[in-house]
Amino acid sequence: MSFLTLPKLLGKLRSSQKGQARRSIKVGIPKFLNIWGTAPFWVGFFDSLGMKVVFSSDTSEEQYRTYGKGRITMDSCFPVKALAGHIGELLHKDIDILFVPMIYSLPSFLRGHVMDTLCCTRVMMAPENIKAGFLKEKDEFKERGIKYVSPFVPFGEPELLPKYLFEGLKPAVEDLTYEEVVEAVKEGFASLEEFDKSMREKSLEILRWCVKNNRPALLVLARPYHMDPGIGHEIDAEFQLYGYPVLWYNYLPIDKWLLDWLGISLDISDVWTSSYSSNTNEIIWGAKFASRFPWITGVIRLSSYECGMDQPTFTPAQRIVESSGTLFFKFGELDETKPAGSVKIRVETIVYYLEKYSQDIIKRKLSRLGEVPKELTL
Amino acid sequence: MEAVSFEYKAYKPRPFTKEERPYTTILFGGLTFKHERLITGALENMGYKAKPLPNIERIDLDIGKEYIDVGACCPTTFTAGNLARALMDIEKREGRDAVRDRYIFVTVGACGPCRFGQYHESYERVLEGLNLRDFRLFLLDLLQLEQSAEGGGLEVSMPLTLGLVYAMFMGDLITDMEYATRPYEVKKGQTDQVVKDSVEVLYERLKKRPIVGKKLGNFLWHILTDYFVDALKEVKKLWDEIEVDRLQPKARVKITGEFWLQTHEGDGNYNIKRWLEEQGAEVIPPPVAVWMDYLINMELFKLEDAKPFVKNYYLKKLAISFFAWLYRRTYDKLRKALNNIPNPLPSQRELKELARPYFYYRLAGGEGHMLIGKALYALKHKQAHMVCELSPYGCLPNTMSVGAMAKVLADYPELLYAPIEIKGDSEVHAYSRCQMVLTEAKRRAKEGFEQALERTGLSLEEIRDFEEKHPQLKRATYKVPNYGYVGTSANYVMHVAKLMGRLR
Repeated sequence: MSFLTLPKLLGKLRSSQKGQARRSIKVGIPKFLNIWGTAPFWVGFFDSLGMKVVFSSDTSEEQYRTYGKGRITMDSCFPVKALAGHIGELLHKDIDILFVPMIYSLPSFLRGHVMDTLCCTRVMMAPENIKAGFLKEKDEFKERGIKYVSPFVPFGEPELLPKYLFEGLKPAVEDLTYEEVVEAVKEGFASLEEFDKSMREKSLEILRWCVKNNRPALLVLARPYHMDPGIGHEIDAEFQLYGYPVLWYNYLPIDKWLLDWLGISLDISDVWTSSYSSNTNEIIWGAKFASRFPWITGVIRLSSYECGMDQPTFTPAQRIVESSGTLFFKFGELDETKPAGSVKIRVETIVYYLEKYSQDIIKRKLSRLGEVPKELTL
Repeated sequence: MEAVSFEYKAYKPRPFTKEERPYTTILFGGLTFKHERLITGALENMGYKAKPLPNIERIDLDIGKEYIDVGACCPTTFTAGNLARALMDIEKREGRDAVRDRYIFVTVGACGPCRFGQYHESYERVLEGLNLRDFRLFLLDLLQLEQSAEGGGLEVSMPLTLGLVYAMFMGDLITDMEYATRPYEVKKGQTDQVVKDSVEVLYERLKKRPIVGKKLGNFLWHILTDYFVDALKEVKKLWDEIEVDRLQPKARVKITGEFWLQTHEGDGNYNIKRWLEEQGAEVIPPPVAVWMDYLINMELFKLEDAKPFVKNYYLKKLAISFFAWLYRRTYDKLRKALNNIPNPLPSQRELKELARPYFYYRLAGGEGHMLIGKALYALKHKQAHMVCELSPYGCLPNTMSVGAMAKVLADYPELLYAPIEIKGDSEVHAYSRCQMVLTEAKRRAKEGFEQALERTGLSLEEIRDFEEKHPQLKRATYKVPNYGYVGTSANYVMHVAKLMGRLR
């Protein structure tokens, strides 16, 4: 327990006054790449600093063509190129700061043999790359009176996080103090943790429904930003139209009683040794979960065109899933345009297989496990 | 629909024991034939049998595509295909049991998020495809001075690590000599022969290196010994015999890019360095040593960033700084034995600062900020007329810094920069892109040369007459100082003028 000393009280009062003064500061954040896995952190962080967050829209062809045109300076996967559209769109909004974090590493729930929790090199470097397209002829940020802030963000090194964020934001927010940023980082993590917890609880609720009704579910293995309708093209929603609950690998429940029953831990060393990439590690873990959980009878793998991080995982992820007879379907080479027609045809075919084999798969997987835990039948 | 097995397991090689060492050959690859021959010497010196994989050929790309998952970058595809071809050849020649029991493959891993750190996944697909999953493939960590593979057959000890470091340094130095000399050689083919002879001299020296001490003792011996300097002095005598004609204005082209692609000499990068020479360029090759220097200095930069949170900060900083200094000092000591003809290593701190406005240095993966830093370094230090950046198709980090170069080029319009995407099967496209920038680089080289002649008032005949009287000037090992020109020929004219007392 700590006592509210006079300096602390004065500090809080000052901070509160600053908070009020900063309410007018609007921070634009492009909804791109790993913002999809960390957005609650940023909302909690800026809220603590007294600033308002404005996100860009979901990715769309229209956004990319209207605002990103002429900004791309290299060939890359579409999730990276789409950042140009998000930045361009925010430049047309009423914002004071454009905040484009270079997210280098991520928090991870995995334990054991995790060599690192890094982001894809293209993902972490995307802001430096796309920024050049807005500076090469003239400084478009300056021209619109918007302060461009792009700090280095190593979630995997939490002790350094406030330092980098403070150094990045200080030139744009003059009265900012390091202590405030330390506090805001704590708020950010609390907000992220709370959100992740609620999502895992929701996933567990869905799985319980599947158990109760003996209904199959699908698991999506992808990168977090495939949740963006313009990147993942809402393929998961197509399956929901047929009545299949869809879960995402990054929000699976990780309760000990459940993992004990499935015979897995939060370690992937038995199936994946190059455990550097945070998203990859979790995809591989998700594949392990799917291969064992009886009511997950099919896995949908989404991958963007030219994804170099996914490429080495294609065979291992498929083998892990199929080793238990679970169905595996890959939608690879996703790009800018939504291939609506071919997606519908493939979904129809996949649904046929799911209907035909799901009950057999549930039975076979159940036969390899002990009695269904009571926590799953609540 | 019956599952094959309930569990999928990652590939794990059988142990490699000490008893197997005398009859087991270590296969390795990924560098130039010079580096690989010298690495062979260092390994043999430690009692291993070693053999590099065959040089990369165009067919390796097709073989690689056949075995590994779709969408791989070109270095992964080439090297995986190369391994497959080598194993198939051994199997055909010596039988399947020999592949299994008499060979292992060692490669470097642990390089983080870029696909380079995950190459072994593709190699494992090759083993599956060839039904050779019982073949042994081991990964080494690039930053570990001492490590061993399971079974104790492969032990990376201090003497072996330092032997490999010297092999890498000397491979780099001979490569620098080669590219500085060949474009100007009078007798065609002589440089290539001397390269081969030099490599053999150094290979023998590495193979016969005395093993003094085990850890600290061995480390100190390598710091203090003149063993390698003497070997290079012997090699220098071979280069002294090469006559060069530096009165040929040639565009100096600095090669940068993804590690494997920039280092490689062969079909993997369309043999672009030789092609550039044929087009009238002098190539500045990328030393492997820069990469290790980058890794060491990144540790230092990261430590500086984390200063408030690091225990014994100053002690740690001193230790890494000393290690970084020693690394460069050793390289410079070896360069000196070749009369400083090979280029010095660029300052990593300068590369970081040059790149800073465009690319943050902690964005690690591949070459990170170095490609931008190197391009600006070449411009600021008048090192090259043009930068040719070799970027593999599908490379994760390279495409990012190539994109960021848009702003660099806006700020430095005088920089001649040719980013070449290498797919492995689109040679003409790559050559033609390079040619467009090279044309301007050649014009600048010629302009510099003519300017030097005009400034000094010298004619070619006068210079040639002077050369006849001073034949040492025509030696490949004669060091021409820099007089502020990029081109070798322009600086040479200035130097001759100085020697003649005609420098105005």
